Amino acid sequence: MPRIGVYICHCGENIAGAVNVEEVRKYAEKLPGVVLARNYLFMCSDPGQELIKQDIKNGLIDRVVVAACTPRTHEPIFRKAVEDGGLNKYLLEMANIRDQDSWPHWQDKERATAKAKKLVASAVAKAAFLEPLEDRFVEVTRASLVVGGGVAGMFAALDLANMGYKVYLVEKSPSVGGNMAKLDKTFPTNDCSACILTPIMVQVGTHPNIELLTYSEVESVEGSVGNFKVKVRKKQTYIDWDKCTGCGDCVNACPAKVPNEFNEGMDNRKAIYIEFPQAVPKRAVVDIEHCLNCAKRIIGTQPRTHSKTGEPILAPCEKACKTGACDRSRAYNPEGEIVELNVGTIIVAAGYKVMDKAPFKEYSPQSPNVITAMQLERILSATGPTEGQLKRPSDGEKPKTIAFISCVGSRDKRYHTYCSKVCCMYMLKEARLIKEKYPHIDIYIFFIDVRTGGKDFEEYYNYCRDLGIKMLRGRVGAVDELPGDRLRVRAYDVDLGAPVELEADLVVLATAIEPAPDLEELGRKLGITCGSEGFMKELHTKLYPVETSVKGIYIAGCTQGPKDIPESVSQARAASSAAAVPLTLGKVIVEPLISEVNQRKCTGCGTCVQLCPYSAISLVEDKGRLRSKIDEALCAGCGVCAAACPSGVITLHGFTNAQIHAQIKALAC
Amino acid sequence: MSSDQVATGVINLSEGDSSLANEIKELGGEELMECIQCAKCAAACPMVLAGFPFFNKRIIQAIFLGLRDALLDDSSIWACQSCNRCTEVCPREVNPFEIIQAMRRVAIREFALPTLSIEGLKSLYDTGHAVYLAGAGNTRAKVGLPEKPPSTVANPEALKELQAVIRKTALADLGIIPMDESGVKETCEV
Ligand code: SF4
Ligand code: SF4
Ligand code: SF4
Ligand code: SF4
Repeated sequence: MPRIGVYICHCGENIAGAVNVEEVRKYAEKLPGVVLARNYLFMCSDPGQELIKQDIKNGLIDRVVVAACTPRTHEPIFRKAVEDGGLNKYLLEMANIRDQDSWPHWQDKERATAKAKKLVASAVAKAAFLEPLEDRFVEVTRASLVVGGGVAGMFAALDLANMGYKVYLVEKSPSVGGNMAKLDKTFPTNDCSACILTPIMVQVGTHPNIELLTYSEVESVEGSVGNFKVKVRKKQTYIDWDKCTGCGDCVNACPAKVPNEFNEGMDNRKAIYIEFPQAVPKRAVVDIEHCLNCAKRIIGTQPRTHSKTGEPILAPCEKACKTGACDRSRAYNPEGEIVELNVGTIIVAAGYKVMDKAPFKEYSPQSPNVITAMQLERILSATGPTEGQLKRPSDGEKPKTIAFISCVGSRDKRYHTYCSKVCCMYMLKEARLIKEKYPHIDIYIFFIDVRTGGKDFEEYYNYCRDLGIKMLRGRVGAVDELPGDRLRVRAYDVDLGAPVELEADLVVLATAIEPAPDLEELGRKLGITCGSEGFMKELHTKLYPVETSVKGIYIAGCTQGPKDIPESVSQARAASSAAAVPLTLGKVIVEPLISEVNQRKCTGCGTCVQLCPYSAISLVEDKGRLRSKIDEALCAGCGVCAAACPSGVITLHGFTNAQIHAQIKALAC
Repeated sequence: MSSDQVATGVINLSEGDSSLANEIKELGGEELMECIQCAKCAAACPMVLAGFPFFNKRIIQAIFLGLRDALLDDSSIWACQSCNRCTEVCPREVNPFEIIQAMRRVAIREFALPTLSIEGLKSLYDTGHAVYLAGAGNTRAKVGLPEKPPSTVANPEALKELQAVIRKTALADLGIIPMDESGVKETCEV
């Protein structure tokens, strides 16, 4: 007969405020199998845990039920106490009488108390059937995968590489750099973005421990912490990257023109292109969709021969390429190449995308002089479409009046309810850069709130105002096109208490920060959920901000939510140290709460094989018959198989049929 | 731009005068740019309670936007009681009262001051008091006070000195009130 001890926590007022703890204790005392029941102000405190340890040591109990708050944060603490007392740590059961009882039923003390009794009774019923379990360990592959080569991904990769671990850095663009590579200067110090980023890119490109996989995407992920098997698709570049030196001769020769993504569509690139001048690796890529197939040569065909000279007729890119990297006769596989990686941990730093201006009809998005802040960033950048000259798109004239509009698509239920966090600062920065260079340009910033929460940001704001940049509180209602390429901005100045209008030559929209395209799909591949806003969810906002619900997978940068550079870098470095822990230990504990098939009784129906979301089950031959077998390393303990098995021969340890049935029965009576 | 345009119409920011802010800074409103429009000053200001359209916070915002005409066409800036509550409460040490003073200086330069203020200035020059009522002597006598208060009113030498000082100010150059030396009055009755 098990001897169960029940411990009911007041959690200060958190539980005791709604639940009559003493009444629950008296009730618990009489439950079958219970030999003692105690209550305490804070069970998780040292003296609280001591109660459990002493009772075990004194030989009074051999099963423990703690009725307290969420097991998510507290189960490990109580398991440790049980273990320190001298029992197997899985002989513990928790009843969550806070989140599931005192909090939601705060107003109804009587019924909250009644519910607490039920929850305790069901935990006690289960506890009677608890059995000791042993932790397992799995060996960890000492390598890591970083998804995303922006500033966050690069720092995460460098940190892990510097600790001596092998790192695969997967980036979907031809070059690392991410959005930061597009920026002109960065607040709050106004460093030139390219100048501080390029050395980092070069380090990443040359680090002996980093294997750079640019122009690549994660195809699938299997396995679990310590042993992830990742398939990465290296997209087809149609250029031999081993031979390409990044000289750009092919680019100069190519006649095809395509809107340039790197310059936010404000100028054209070629069909064969190098993403940007400081690209790492500096290699050309053929955008096959836009390739004109010059000289009537589609990729993979031999050149025609000149009727007179007998020479082969090459496409301009081929002709220009001195190294033979651009060779259109080669039959390339358009699917690219799949590389398989084995890693112990994964960091996702997939970045963000800025929202397009098109949806904002009220702001005349059809006007070339209504641009997004990212487009302005490119205009201001020396490597941008105007080589850093401030020119407005319609006629190349220098604008005399510029209006910035904040929160375009942010804090807006029709688009994104969240604050994009960086817009206030980047608007101030862009306005400042312009005003410092051209003091006579009139700049107006239409704000809802000015949010300058970071270190040294408020000083930055004050400095900008001192420069004479005008701030108006009030969301712009309309931007109308006027004759002569001018724009009329209409708003209500809350501070003046009057409607205002302004004629501007250039209107800059601070459009929202959005999750990177396909982030949700990447999340599905990794088993990580994205919140309602589409950013990946951290395990716990406060305590586990870089961890995810999948052990061994961490997040950093704007993948988790809008962030500025300092924050992204800090989070990246936090993620890399968290991701290094399993690599350093070399093995990870895997809870024994997984499923097992009684193979002798398995009928081999295969129901479980189809259902297992982690592909942990396979049918294996056993004495001439097919029987189901669960791979311990892959099983996540979800229990789907155990619930579905028609023969009832799958046991989910820690949640056996006997335990669950006892629990339900106690709840039902 | 008039005050009722502010109340009913649309303010055209394109017509704003960017030099106004600098002018205010030069005329005593040095801390102008420190204002973050938090409106704490407005919460303490009697002009707000009296219903004037331009009170401290709004005056400052109008200066930021260069709305010179709107401020000059409206009498609000003259309604400040100089109580200085705003200065005491402002978390940014803007000294809003000084800004209003600076705006008044701007207004005076442009002769945009109400008749009442001209009379006050004239009274100041003539008696040393911006407000000094005719017949004050009788009233004082009735309550047992000397007819003339112990100020410039009772001290023609001091008044002369004061007038000499005022003649050295910008007021004299502007010629808003007559200031001929011979016109010094011996009497305090205006
Ligand atoms: S064949 Fe070569 S040069 Fe011609 S469009 Fe394609 S990439 Fe450009
Ligand atoms: S519990 Fe069953 S279904 Fe769930 S992961 Fe393990 S084997 Fe697969
Ligand atoms: S003057 Fe001072 S109190 Fe008034 S709005 Fe500006 S900062 Fe606030
Ligand atoms: S000094 Fe003038 S502006 Fe300041 S609170 Fe008093 S009346 Fe208002």
